[in-house]
Amino acid sequence: MKYVLATLIVLGASGAAGAATPPPEAATCQACHGVHGEGMVDGAKPRLAGQSAHYLDKQLRDFASGARDNAIMSAIAKGLNDQTRSRLAAYYASLPIPAPLEHTSATAAQAERGHQLAIEGAEGKRVQACNNCHGPDGSGVALSAPALAGQLATYLAAQLKLWQQGGRKNDAGNLMSSVASKLDEADIAAVTSYYASLSASTPASH
Amino acid sequence: MAQRLKEVDVVVIGVGMVGSILAKELAAAGYKVVGLERGTTRFTVPEFQSPGIHDELRFDVRKALMQDNTREPVTFRNHSSEIGLPIRRWESFLPGTGLGGSMVHWNGQTFRFQANDFELATRTRERYGKGFLDPDLTLQDWGVTYDELEPHYDRFEYLLGTSGKAGNLKGQIQPGGDPHESPRSRDYPTPPQKEHYSGALFRKAASSLGHHPFPQPSSNLSQPYTNPEGLKMNTCVFCGFCERYACEHYAKSTPQTFILPVLLANPNFELRTGCQVQRINLDSSKKRATGVTYIDNAGREFEQPASLVITCLFAINNIRMLLLSGIGKPYDPATGKGVVGRNYAYQTMSTVASFFDEDVIINPFMASGASGTMINDFAGDNFDHSGLGFIGGAFIGAVNTNGRPIQYHPTPPGTPAWGKGWKDAVIKHYNHTVMFSLHGSSVSQKQNYADLDPTYKDAWGQPLLRITFDFPKNDLKMAEYVTARGVEIGKAMGAKQVVGSPRKGPYTTQQYQTTHNTGGTVMGNDPSTSVVNRYLQSWDVPNVFVIGASAYPQNASWNPTGTLGALTYWVADALKSKYLRNPGHLVSP
Repeated sequence: MKYVLATLIVLGASGAAGAATPPPEAATCQACHGVHGEGMVDGAKPRLAGQSAHYLDKQLRDFASGARDNAIMSAIAKGLNDQTRSRLAAYYASLPIPAPLEHTSATAAQAERGHQLAIEGAEGKRVQACNNCHGPDGSGVALSAPALAGQLATYLAAQLKLWQQGGRKNDAGNLMSSVASKLDEADIAAVTSYYASLSASTPASH
Repeated sequence: MAQRLKEVDVVVIGVGMVGSILAKELAAAGYKVVGLERGTTRFTVPEFQSPGIHDELRFDVRKALMQDNTREPVTFRNHSSEIGLPIRRWESFLPGTGLGGSMVHWNGQTFRFQANDFELATRTRERYGKGFLDPDLTLQDWGVTYDELEPHYDRFEYLLGTSGKAGNLKGQIQPGGDPHESPRSRDYPTPPQKEHYSGALFRKAASSLGHHPFPQPSSNLSQPYTNPEGLKMNTCVFCGFCERYACEHYAKSTPQTFILPVLLANPNFELRTGCQVQRINLDSSKKRATGVTYIDNAGREFEQPASLVITCLFAINNIRMLLLSGIGKPYDPATGKGVVGRNYAYQTMSTVASFFDEDVIINPFMASGASGTMINDFAGDNFDHSGLGFIGGAFIGAVNTNGRPIQYHPTPPGTPAWGKGWKDAVIKHYNHTVMFSLHGSSVSQKQNYADLDPTYKDAWGQPLLRITFDFPKNDLKMAEYVTARGVEIGKAMGAKQVVGSPRKGPYTTQQYQTTHNTGGTVMGNDPSTSVVNRYLQSWDVPNVFVIGASAYPQNASWNPTGTLGALTYWVADALKSKYLRNPGHLVSP
């Protein structure tokens, strides 16, 4: 029940900001990230709905400055001023989390491995639990780490590979590249399908 | 009857920082090594993972990682006229237990001592004259110099990946580092951790007073690092759960992160946990160890024969192991004769609290155990002690190790100790206070020592260690002087109220101060005032080596771990290049 409560608090707090009305600039976002910020499997466009406003705002700033590299997003982010950017971030943070788009077909062994990496890590690879930073059930920690629960597996896997290969570096202390470099293809498939399978609006079963 | 096991080359008693480093060196050199650990195995995954590892009640209050003092306490008294009583709750100091030892719950503050510290008796006499010191003090030179240890400090820091900024590279002073440090051969392996806001305030104020602030060397790493053993470590996330906790991120350097995977993979090494070593066994001449006797978790007794026995226990347990084994003459404070238990010392910790208005936001919870900003201008012999009536000093630092809700609640004097008034004050000051740590040296004196308790026994029927200790006048004067300097910095930060709390006697075991117990098996060049020689080899039983902060003749102004790491590699070198090729006394007694 803890997770449901946390979600309600988020929605309650943002309700006052006028969640229902998208800022006009959101039309640009909707083309790829969906009308409700649900993301798009094709092209690994992440879900934005319910993600922390702080995280979304920082990513937009990083796209604009080049700290995070993506040709499409950089061009868009450069066109936003501070006010618009934070309005968009707050809007997407306030949106209710939609049902998952993907139906992952993880094997039992994959699900177990994904769960293990998320909550416990792997001593043999010197990888700590993802949830240490990303919060219980990957629900995110507002000012430091994005929510992973219910995120598209295709997006998460693409990002882990970017961290691995040096294509993404915009975290604190190069922590994600260090962690991602220890994961193999099977780990990435397992852990991303695990997080994608967590419905962000209901508690994960253990 | 003890079951006699097959003889091995080396038995290591205690598989903590010292034991795991030494065992790795000797196993890699081809020797058969058995490591005996009284606690359990434990690793970053799964034992140290969140959220369980952040249980403040379990780890801070109930001391889950510490030596089990329902079975194996220590007795304590301030003076030899008193009766020692068992410490039933660890508070003043926190000896750990289990694989990785006390280092699992350390803060990562990784210092070198200064050249002066290793020749303290000689240099103090030279600088201040013969009659300068209180005649009760028993200061001694170490028998080893900084220059001899420098390569080993370097090796230890690169093993850990320590994050810091050099202040003296081969004699060249480096801007931004500690100008008082003794020369180092190269910079730290990783850059300093980020400075938190209290550190930034301290830096500015200390600079304005003409002091020399620098980032505290930290083994909570500032960036990913692969050490010379090939082990990868991660970046610290400033979670604020270092001291008293284990790290879940592979970011705090502990045996689990920097050496154990390599050691445990070596077939020459065998780890046995749940083994309570009762004594080191001697032959009839009492000049040669034949091995050790231990009792396992099932209560079975074993004799493990070995050619070489290395005791690598926490300082106070090293003393006890020698006393229980009859190695070395126990110290007698009445006559000043004997050596084992002599020169027990500690650390003289003071604090300065600077209370700000509510518009100054400190966020103390964003912390690592060693992400401080500090000065050494009043540490060691870095200032003139003429006319001051004491020797030694303290580092002063805004060392913000945590903002944990049970442990951290600074309030100004006059605050009620409980109830609404206390709660209101905690809320008011929690996020608007800067705490300085004043980490003071500790001299040894005749009256402070350790011996076996005449009354109390452990769960196996063996006498407990008894500590007799109070703060020497020298150190209380030092605390007074250095705390006044800390208060000046607090005022220069612009705090509304600055409260200095110099350490006062009598020493109490009921308040946390620091886990830096030293002495009792001290090293030196004179067998009448030291237990071990400069290679930490027993003068009396040359196939026994005793490695720990118990070797320090007195304690310096910094945390002891860096120096212990250097000594460990110093001994490893002596074992491999000298002793094991030709066993015998490395220094003739």
